[in-house]
Amino acid sequence: MYGLIDVNNMYVSCERSFNPSLNGKPVIALGNNDHCVIARSQEAKNVGIKMGQPLFQIRELIEQHQVQICSSNFELYGDLSSRLMSLLTNFADHVEPYSIDEAFVQIDTSFEGIYPSYQGLGSAMRDTVAQWLRLPICVGFGLTKTLAKVANKCAKTRPELEGVCVINSLESANEALSDFKIKDLWGVGSRYAAMLKKNGIETALQLRDVGDIDWVRDRMTVNGVRMVYELRGYPCRLLEINAPPKKTICTAMSFGQLIPDLKNITDALTTYLARCCEKLRRQESLARHVTVFLHTNPNRKTPGNGLPAKQYSASRSIRLPHHTNHLPDFLRYAIPVVENLLQLGYNYQKVGIILNDIVPESFRQQGVFSDWPDEKALQIGKTIDRLNHRYGRDKVRLASQLYQPDWSQVQGSLSQAYTTDWKQILKAS
Amino acid sequence: MIDTLDPIPPGNIWAIDPSERVPIPFYLSTVQAGFPNPAENFLRQRLNLQDLCVQHPDATYFVEAAGESMIEDYIYPGSILVVDAALLVESGKIIVCWVNGACTVKRFVRYGKLVVLFPSNAHYTPLYIHPETDQFLVLGVVVRIVSKPPRWDSDQLKTAQDYVRTHRRE
Repeated sequence: MYGLIDVNNMYVSCERSFNPSLNGKPVIALGNNDHCVIARSQEAKNVGIKMGQPLFQIRELIEQHQVQICSSNFELYGDLSSRLMSLLTNFADHVEPYSIDEAFVQIDTSFEGIYPSYQGLGSAMRDTVAQWLRLPICVGFGLTKTLAKVANKCAKTRPELEGVCVINSLESANEALSDFKIKDLWGVGSRYAAMLKKNGIETALQLRDVGDIDWVRDRMTVNGVRMVYELRGYPCRLLEINAPPKKTICTAMSFGQLIPDLKNITDALTTYLARCCEKLRRQESLARHVTVFLHTNPNRKTPGNGLPAKQYSASRSIRLPHHTNHLPDFLRYAIPVVENLLQLGYNYQKVGIILNDIVPESFRQQGVFSDWPDEKALQIGKTIDRLNHRYGRDKVRLASQLYQPDWSQVQGSLSQAYTTDWKQILKAS
Repeated sequence: MIDTLDPIPPGNIWAIDPSERVPIPFYLSTVQAGFPNPAENFLRQRLNLQDLCVQHPDATYFVEAAGESMIEDYIYPGSILVVDAALLVESGKIIVCWVNGACTVKRFVRYGKLVVLFPSNAHYTPLYIHPETDQFLVLGVVVRIVSKPPRWDSDQLKTAQDYVRTHRRE
């Protein structure tokens, strides 16, 4: 039996976990630079705040309904997420963290003696998470991961189920799938949804009972076939306990304010590349292909006349002579690239980096015309990571990296890092 | 279903692999020759305060105390409280909770439907919580108090020195 556990309105719930005075009030969490809404409490949904809406469009709504605003505090969300994943191992041997607020679990049949029912197991999970982490969760159980996803959605949308939905019989599956819209199904995007609708398939039940499996294979590849089998109760997607290393690594954050000059942009580039190198080292990989891009703010109007401002964007890729995860190696190539791309006279909103051609550290090929990467340099990277882990991010850094940059993110209403910084822990009188 | 547009930084998503959580109790040596270290068979992991104070790592929070309302229970301003949210809240236990939005540490007493929060300082009065009208949420039970020992001021130090002077053998 598979289960999907998912936190309701994760970011807002995390804020409430350490600030219960937000309970019962409309609360929104804002994304990078406080630009737009990335999470809403039920109350905020009810007053009509949309997902992804820019802050300036909802100023009146916020005023009118006293909506509470939180800047995204990923340090807190990340810690609560890892506590949740670890807590779930008390209930199931196999836990796959699927995203920051979702996890798949696999329940062996041996558990069946311990809990009176899957309904009871789900309730126990809900109660424990509510007491330990003060987070509201929904639990869905099904014979496959896809059915667990469906069950979880049912648990969320039907309050009478009290947050737990179990699909373990033909009747319960028929009931859940018959009014389950095809576009909400796991793995069905807007294109497949439109294609299936055109062919008369509008609910998950209709897709499950499709007569001609080759028809599905022709139109939706083997993944579509897997989906149908999963709906029929045959597991095709298994738990991925150890996630495979990433094939692409990207860092691209918007600046807190628009930046016109080369110095700040190179500085941001250095910082982002440093992040990318940390990510590479964490998964013990090396990369060779670097793409640098930068662009202006496409929504900006020229001050004064209100006409759309002149825009500029550019990107370029380069292939290093060897694989590496050493920051100075990348910088030697990336900085000339950004100097080349930059056109003066524009205010830039974003610079970003994408690393490709990623190989495991242990399987790299020696370059023909170069002795790189230098073993010593790779070793230094690891040491720096360990130092920064112990003493705080960027404590050891390149001299060209500013510590408190001008372009850093705007986070107007950031809550404390209650669980990850001794200086910011909760205070009780 | 995740409620977001921005990608989560992968550094904030941690895969939990319980099989990797293995403390290694004994020291494995590859020494081939020479006199073996007789202490080797007795090497154990060094004691760790975390093991003593934290029973449920996923449910444990650290909270800094402020104010003097719990001073008779050895909770001073600046003390770090180890708070376990997995334990049952029973009458008589010291808990950390939110009352109408304010975070507080007090002794919890249930009296019928009423909840009363007792300070341990004669200068403070108990707090009555009415389940219908007050917002009340428990963080957890205080399981340890971490404080620095109090410092002597110059008077106390002087008294001690005077004591030594008067009691010293001639």
